[in-house]
Amino acid sequence: MDWDKLVQLLVNGVTLGSVYALVALGFSMIYGILKLLNLAHGDVVMVGAFIGWGVIGWLGGAQDPNVAVWILIVLMLLAAMVGCGFLGVAIERFAYRPLRRAPRIAPLISALGVSFFLQNSVLLLFGADFRSYEAFDLVDVEVGISWGPLNVWIIRIIVIASAFVMMAGLWLLVTRTKLGKAMRATAFDREAAAMMGVDVDRVIVKTFFIGSALAGAAGVLVGLVFGSINHFMGFNYGLKGFTAAVVGGIGSIPGAMFGGLFIGLADALSVGYIEDFTRGRLGSAFSDLVVFLILIVFMLVRPQGIFGKPEVKKV
Amino acid sequence: MSLDQGPEQEQPRIGVDEWVASAEERRARSLASRAQDAIDRAPAPVKLLALAAPFAIFPLLVDSAYLMQVGIDTLIFVLLAHGLNVAVGWVGLLDLGFVAFFGIGAYLYAALASEYAGRHWDAAIAIPLIAAAAAAAGFLVGLPSRRLVGDYLAIVTLFFLQLWLVILVNASWSRGPNGISDLYPLQLFGQQITSLDGYFYVALVAFVLIISFLYLLNQSRTGRAWRALREDELAAELMTMPVGRLKLMGFAVGAGVAGVAGAIFAPVQGAVFPANFDLVLLITVYAMVVLGGAGSLVGVTVGAVLINGSLEALRDADNASWIFYGIVVIALIALLRPWWQPFAVIGATLVFGFVVHEVAEQARPSLVGETVFGGSRIDELIDAWVLLPQDIVTQDGLPTGWTGRLAYIGLVAAVLGLTLVRSRVWRMVGLVPVLYLAACVWANLLIAQPAVARYVLIGALLVGLMAYRPEGIFGKQRVEIV
Amino acid sequence: MRKGLIAASLGLLAAAMIATSALARSEATATPAQLASCTNVSLGFVGPLTGPAGFLGQEQISWLRFGVQKYNRASGTRFKVVPGDTELKAPVARTVARRFVSDRKVMAVIGPSESQAVRVGGNLYEKAGLVAISGSATAVDLTKGRPYTTFFRVNPNDAIQAPQIVGFVSRNLGAKNVVVIDSQDDYSIPLASAISRGLRARNVTVSRESVSADDTDFSSIVANVGNEVNVVVFATQVASAANTLSNQLREQGKKAVVFGTDGAYSPSQFKPRLGYVSVFAPDLHFDRSARGLVREYNRYSKNRSFGAFGPATYMAGLVAMNAITKACANGQATRSEVVTFVRRTNIPSIFGGTVRFSRAGDPLPTRFSFYKVTNGTYSPVG
Repeated sequence: MDWDKLVQLLVNGVTLGSVYALVALGFSMIYGILKLLNLAHGDVVMVGAFIGWGVIGWLGGAQDPNVAVWILIVLMLLAAMVGCGFLGVAIERFAYRPLRRAPRIAPLISALGVSFFLQNSVLLLFGADFRSYEAFDLVDVEVGISWGPLNVWIIRIIVIASAFVMMAGLWLLVTRTKLGKAMRATAFDREAAAMMGVDVDRVIVKTFFIGSALAGAAGVLVGLVFGSINHFMGFNYGLKGFTAAVVGGIGSIPGAMFGGLFIGLADALSVGYIEDFTRGRLGSAFSDLVVFLILIVFMLVRPQGIFGKPEVKKV
Repeated sequence: MSLDQGPEQEQPRIGVDEWVASAEERRARSLASRAQDAIDRAPAPVKLLALAAPFAIFPLLVDSAYLMQVGIDTLIFVLLAHGLNVAVGWVGLLDLGFVAFFGIGAYLYAALASEYAGRHWDAAIAIPLIAAAAAAAGFLVGLPSRRLVGDYLAIVTLFFLQLWLVILVNASWSRGPNGISDLYPLQLFGQQITSLDGYFYVALVAFVLIISFLYLLNQSRTGRAWRALREDELAAELMTMPVGRLKLMGFAVGAGVAGVAGAIFAPVQGAVFPANFDLVLLITVYAMVVLGGAGSLVGVTVGAVLINGSLEALRDADNASWIFYGIVVIALIALLRPWWQPFAVIGATLVFGFVVHEVAEQARPSLVGETVFGGSRIDELIDAWVLLPQDIVTQDGLPTGWTGRLAYIGLVAAVLGLTLVRSRVWRMVGLVPVLYLAACVWANLLIAQPAVARYVLIGALLVGLMAYRPEGIFGKQRVEIV
Repeated sequence: MRKGLIAASLGLLAAAMIATSALARSEATATPAQLASCTNVSLGFVGPLTGPAGFLGQEQISWLRFGVQKYNRASGTRFKVVPGDTELKAPVARTVARRFVSDRKVMAVIGPSESQAVRVGGNLYEKAGLVAISGSATAVDLTKGRPYTTFFRVNPNDAIQAPQIVGFVSRNLGAKNVVVIDSQDDYSIPLASAISRGLRARNVTVSRESVSADDTDFSSIVANVGNEVNVVVFATQVASAANTLSNQLREQGKKAVVFGTDGAYSPSQFKPRLGYVSVFAPDLHFDRSARGLVREYNRYSKNRSFGAFGPATYMAGLVAMNAITKACANGQATRSEVVTFVRRTNIPSIFGGTVRFSRAGDPLPTRFSFYKVTNGTYSPVG
């Protein structure tokens, strides 16, 4: 039993998982409140990553930033969160709100259009080159925890910590504040909430803002820990984030967090062990399939996910 | 309708509103509705002929190999769009894995007629076989649909597509990303088809056959059942319709059509690659179906022709401006109410542009330069009218620095903001500078990268269509009854 | 009224579209013997200008345009570059091939950049007698057996790269245990397979891994790399991926060093603390004699970064322009004349030596250069 490898894979899995959890949270929140799958969510992550990159460039570049590294990171996160929050609000206002009464398929197609538009706009404005955060220049890779088999770069720690802090903050928001109560009420029954005096439109807008802000933060974290970003990266994170949301129970916040970590670990472990498991028949190329299979199994066996409640349709 | 057409005509007709009746009579006598009636009353074969005729005479009008290739690609897209229309337009299922069936058809052709496979089957046997196999695949993919609601189904189908692509890239039988490049030409009843014209007619014949089949299917009980299912699944189920089986049929038929399209696509290209079947293709086909009108045979055909035609024309900078300004003009005409408004706005924009151009030329000449990109006549005219700041774009068309990028973002924000303006007058006023800005952004940024710009336009088109006219050009308006 | 207006404008637009494209390209397929005018000659560039390999194509077309401008200024010709974006997609590459074939002004195609596009368009170019000179298509089967008689390339193919890498890794680096990673594409899979085979033949333990072309995280792959591994050979076209791989290896305390194939060559993106990279042409940045050229290019492109792909395409452009100029010596030229002159090319190469082609269309002679990277600084080795 190669403990070194296992420990390393677990660390990778938790890193990936934190990011997926942030993305899944946004998905879950939006689905919970509008029963809408925001297929453009992954591209919001991508825009967040580019905003972060822009901030680095604006503040002097990764080799020699004008401010301390931790200030830089905080600024990037803030900029991405605010920027993507507003982007999410705009998407809701212009692509989804006109379709509230349309057949279910309509906002999904609109989401496809938004996704396509965002990807190609970024391609147009920034080119096809992979852009790099050059995080390895920002903070050297060997700075971090080195304890036995555990070798963790400090940026990974920052990523995991930030993700957890944001998730905790969201949890507090949803359970302790009035806004959170309004969000839960709207998610439960939109019309009843409206009748109870909740300004449903504003709640929806705020939900989109928060969900997209989390996605933007995820984008910056991805750029930090993995280095390079490009206009097409959103697709993968959208897919994994969606899987995580479904596995955890779509519409459920603890479910999204759990689902994210689960999928992140599945991702890392499958790359690490798939060859051993299949005795060399399948290479690491097929590790993506493992995640698909997990999703399909869940969809067929337990579509409400781990933390979700089976949905009963009342006629 | 009167109860009694006796001599006492003054007796008010029961159940009839005079004013409504007279209005209806007036409309019925108008040219548009008389034409519509004539079209509706025409027998189906005539309508089919009318639809197929432009395609049939196309080869006689063009003699360039390039245009023939575009024509063949368009026909293949038309077939694809019809396949998607079955699943999305008729049954109402969001199938995001549709292009995988296209790929299955193409690779099956490679398995039946290539040097690699070592066999060369006649198309008369191969194509029906491929259609059946693709339909079977559609059936399999549709199996989860019985338990899944629309949104989840979309994702499962998307995953299926990813699965298919991963297999294609990594399996040994598919030769990986290199694809299979030594396909034999299509052999129909012993005759090998090697010319572009030949393939065009094969595609046309397939089109006619498939459309007839789809038309008959739509008129049949299955078609009616699909329509019922699309409108309200629960009600259909309660009416004892076999909802599960109907959905599977929808998947299977759509997949079969895609398979045939793939079987024609493969010999035309002469090779198959995994990269042929990607998400960009999927979204393009969706745009065709949505633009034309999901559910309408004519609409989908028109949508495919329009979108593929525009994509081709927007491929390089020479023709792109025609399309862009043409789309702007048409959008204005379509969206502004009294018929004279679009022209007023265009006129005002031209004047506004002249003024700004003159002011800029005097104040800061570096803002007004020569044509950088775009070689057509319309570009030369317009480049004398827009602002062309120097050095905001590299030779390859990439924005250097933030001027270009902010202008683009500003344009998007302005256009969106305009939709929020309530007052019609202010909207017209606001349109003028926005249109000018759009022309500037086009001339500086978009036309420098026409290949990317057209995808941006398609994305925007999809969103705009769904927001303003989800039924597309020829579709029927649908209302969700909750 | 409005519907009528819309219908009328749509009709007008469609008519305008068809008219302009018909007018622009209504020539029948140009046959090899067809005479073409020698003024206003275009070079068609075929390569990925958008998409995942877009940065490669953009670098190449930038160098090509630079080369054309330089040549025009020096010899008073009026060559133009026409872009043909393949988007790294086969059907698009085929449409582009047809477009250039039926455009009389195109006397030579520079490219296709990617091997896939050569396979899809090769016989079209051949039938039309249109020469295609690539600066980066490396697949062996493009010239083996001469399937496309009008295809040439100025870069060596994978049959050369793989053995040279095998030699370098096993001899110069003395590696005994190697991991070979491909990026699941047309370029890397055959190359990675050839490298693994060659290494195994020299009794080196080889294990194979695979990542997707747009993967940015390799931590789990790195976890699979044991401490006994000396070298990780990464066949990729994305230099920043090689950079991330190298850093993540260091992060996890592995001793293995990254060897990137020619796609990873990029002083701006692949900057490991210690690494190696191969490239099919020497880096002009290190070539004293090319300093002037590099300065000119930097001025032209406003200091756009470049690697090995751009200059190779520049060479291909020079070959084409030379051949066309020779063919046009008597005022008129056909495409097949151009092919003949390309076959007989013998011009000085910017990499040193001369450019000549073998019977199969491959360049002779061919060299591979190896570079060692220390803290982001490149230095030639081997």
